[in-house]
Amino acid sequence: MSQAILNNVEKLPADALFDIKQRFSKDPREVKVDLGIGAYRDENGKPWVLPSVRSAEKLVQEDPSYNHEYLGINGLPTLTSNAAKIILGEDSPALAEDRVISVQSLSGTGALHIAAKFISKFLPNRTLYLSNPTWANHHAIFQTQGVKTAIYSYWDSKTKSLDLEGYLQSIKNAPNGSIFVLHACAHNPTGLDPNQEQWNQILDAIAAKDHIAIFDSAYQGFASGDLNRDAFAVRLGIQKLSKVCPIFICQSFAKNIGLYGERVGCFHLVLPQQNDASANLVSIKTAVSSQLSKMIRSEVSNSPAYGAKVAAKILSTPHLTEQWHKDMITMSSRINKMRASLRDKLVSLKTPGTWDHIVGQCGMFSYTGLSPDMVERLESQHAVYLVSSGRISIAGLNDGNVDHVAKAIDEVVRNQAASSKF
Amino acid sequence: MSNWLQCSRRCFWNRTNYGTRALSSFDKIPRAPPDKILGLTEQFSKDKNAKKVNLTVGVYKDNQGLVTTFPTVAKAQKILDQDENMNSDLSYLPIIGSPAYRKSTLNFLFRDSCPESGPKLLEQERVSFVQTLSGTGALVVAADLLAQFVSRTVWIPNLSWPNHTNIFKRHGFNDVRQYSYYENGKLTVDKWIDNLKKNVKKNDGSRHCIILHACCHNPTGVDPTVEQWRKILDAVRELEMIPIIDMAYQGLVSGNPAKDAYVLRMCLDESRYGNWPHGLFLCQSFAKNMGLYGERVGSLSVVVPPNQPESKGNVESQLKQIVRSMYSSPPAYGCRVATLVLSSDDFKRDWYKDVESMVQRLLNVRQGMYDRLGWEGLINFEQQHGMFFYTGLKPHALNRLRDEYSIYMTMDGRLSLSGVNDHNIDYVCDAFKAILD
Repeated sequence: MSQAILNNVEKLPADALFDIKQRFSKDPREVKVDLGIGAYRDENGKPWVLPSVRSAEKLVQEDPSYNHEYLGINGLPTLTSNAAKIILGEDSPALAEDRVISVQSLSGTGALHIAAKFISKFLPNRTLYLSNPTWANHHAIFQTQGVKTAIYSYWDSKTKSLDLEGYLQSIKNAPNGSIFVLHACAHNPTGLDPNQEQWNQILDAIAAKDHIAIFDSAYQGFASGDLNRDAFAVRLGIQKLSKVCPIFICQSFAKNIGLYGERVGCFHLVLPQQNDASANLVSIKTAVSSQLSKMIRSEVSNSPAYGAKVAAKILSTPHLTEQWHKDMITMSSRINKMRASLRDKLVSLKTPGTWDHIVGQCGMFSYTGLSPDMVERLESQHAVYLVSSGRISIAGLNDGNVDHVAKAIDEVVRNQAASSKF
Repeated sequence: MSNWLQCSRRCFWNRTNYGTRALSSFDKIPRAPPDKILGLTEQFSKDKNAKKVNLTVGVYKDNQGLVTTFPTVAKAQKILDQDENMNSDLSYLPIIGSPAYRKSTLNFLFRDSCPESGPKLLEQERVSFVQTLSGTGALVVAADLLAQFVSRTVWIPNLSWPNHTNIFKRHGFNDVRQYSYYENGKLTVDKWIDNLKKNVKKNDGSRHCIILHACCHNPTGVDPTVEQWRKILDAVRELEMIPIIDMAYQGLVSGNPAKDAYVLRMCLDESRYGNWPHGLFLCQSFAKNMGLYGERVGSLSVVVPPNQPESKGNVESQLKQIVRSMYSSPPAYGCRVATLVLSSDDFKRDWYKDVESMVQRLLNVRQGMYDRLGWEGLINFEQQHGMFFYTGLKPHALNRLRDEYSIYMTMDGRLSLSGVNDHNIDYVCDAFKAILD
């Protein structure tokens, strides 16, 4: 007998982010602010369904052919083909040369999971490099598939800016043919992206070492309001690495279309151009695509339909696409306004330290540089919730609470300064 | 060492310069065989014959040959669409799923479906639960958990849904075995039990999982009788195997979803089996019985042994971790619809009526085909259940059906009854007669 077989199962700590949400909702204090989770909130602190989504849902549901039948294993073709154009650009040479394989995924995580499975099966024994810091889930996604992970330098906490030297050095020091996960824009959690000149240097360095690039694109259009601007790094990568290596793109529509819980995304694999005339691109593409299908069949059978139909409708209906572009500007401009507002308030409170980085960063998050102790005090004394790394979700700020947050930050920073004197 | 590393730019894609074994390059990737069922669907859609009939995939079609939304599901959708509170937040669900869905589904499975044994399990906090991507997702998460902590051996019936093997092999199971289930048109229950008794030793330290199709066996459509199940479960329990109950067609036997959970009820009968020392896994789906196929709505319940107050939470924390690194959180829309359907007795009653009318139509198809073909199996209502009928037709006959009549069936001879309707039943039966002559 072994009644106790499941007793060995160890209890794991709760996921930090989802845990914050729970503590927050239980907090009875009247003024409380959730700056934890990465979902957009409007100026009233409410979830916002994009007007383009509302219209698309209506069209989807009113379509006489609407039903709940299974999608194909590789997903909804209207979604995957339009999604490829969004990230690569309409006039992408990779699309023109038919080098792109696109399949639907459960948002960004699902796409990264496909990448991890694929790497573990077909590109074994290569180390995968993640930025330091990075999204908390990155390491787990790859490690659970047996992919060895390492970190590359990214954030310089002293200057609160990009450690480009260290970054380039990490690329150089990694064994040739390593795999680098690059945040396409709006780096999570720092909100700090390389500028265009820096991207050139980074991608040149990656090409020189025959590394393989994975772009994690979770914020295209959400960061700047402009899809093309936010795809700069991906498209430069496609250009610079076109003869070097395959490129994996993990694309999420959680943030930019606001379809978080519907799990809509795509995994794109861009094959490199072939120097050798005998290499048959078509057959490589067919083989890779068939392997992806087999893999997806054993993970989810087929991807969820509803969100995919809504997203596809937006991407394939011109007037909805146009509305969606406006919606992204609505979100990104409110976020930028809140960045400025928080910075200005901290400056006028004369809070010790510099706060310009809040405005310099982009996307949903700001890496404030607040310490875990300060974060704890923010929660216990001021009911302001954020993850212990000091990352705040700017989307949680609005005109009604930014004062409270600024004063709370001011208090914990001064409190820390005062207590460290003794 | 540096050989394969330096190789990547020039020959990464190129078989002729292929470096060393360590480098698994893309152009060495073989083409994986297409999924049998969905591949045929593609071929079907290209077929220009106006009389073509698709009898492959397990999606219910009405008498007009259409995939329609169940009336109750449509009603729930309408309520959702018009309710500001319910449809103004598309945020992420928690990792292990919507709390409301969890509550309704646990109630449906362990109170409505198992009124005698289930409520106690819930009260004793003995069921770990996670919302999953339909039945496939439940099997995947179960396989990951089991492989990590409990067992890497699983027994799958011969025959079974082809994806069972695919899922377990790709999720940590290194020992996938088959038990005899069906031969020459008949169940082989004695051989099945014999297979287990000869090969599973309860005291040798190894632990064996076993997939049990709860009802409407896929692909044969033939289920053991209740008496046979008792013998089977006695053996499974005696050998201390870990049951993984795949319940994808609950309701498609009798038209009453709660009633069709009989295998689960038998397993949870404490007076006969006590408890399952290594846990019991229930993989459940609303794909077929609510028609929510593509929305991916299902669940995994793990019934943990008694007197282990920590097990439920521990298992759930691991399930959470598995989901988090696979897809973060499950899709919301379908689960909102299902939750609403399960939320009140009125709603549930209407839903049961929908299931009943679906099953009634499938029974009519069986009867109609029997009248035309005289195949006894079609009306063996004690054992022949659900959406599929296993014809036993061989590949050459199936190829002729497809090539000469544009009638598509999977190559194992499985016929999806819902593809047959008043408009094509004569055509289909005449074709069968013609190729069997």
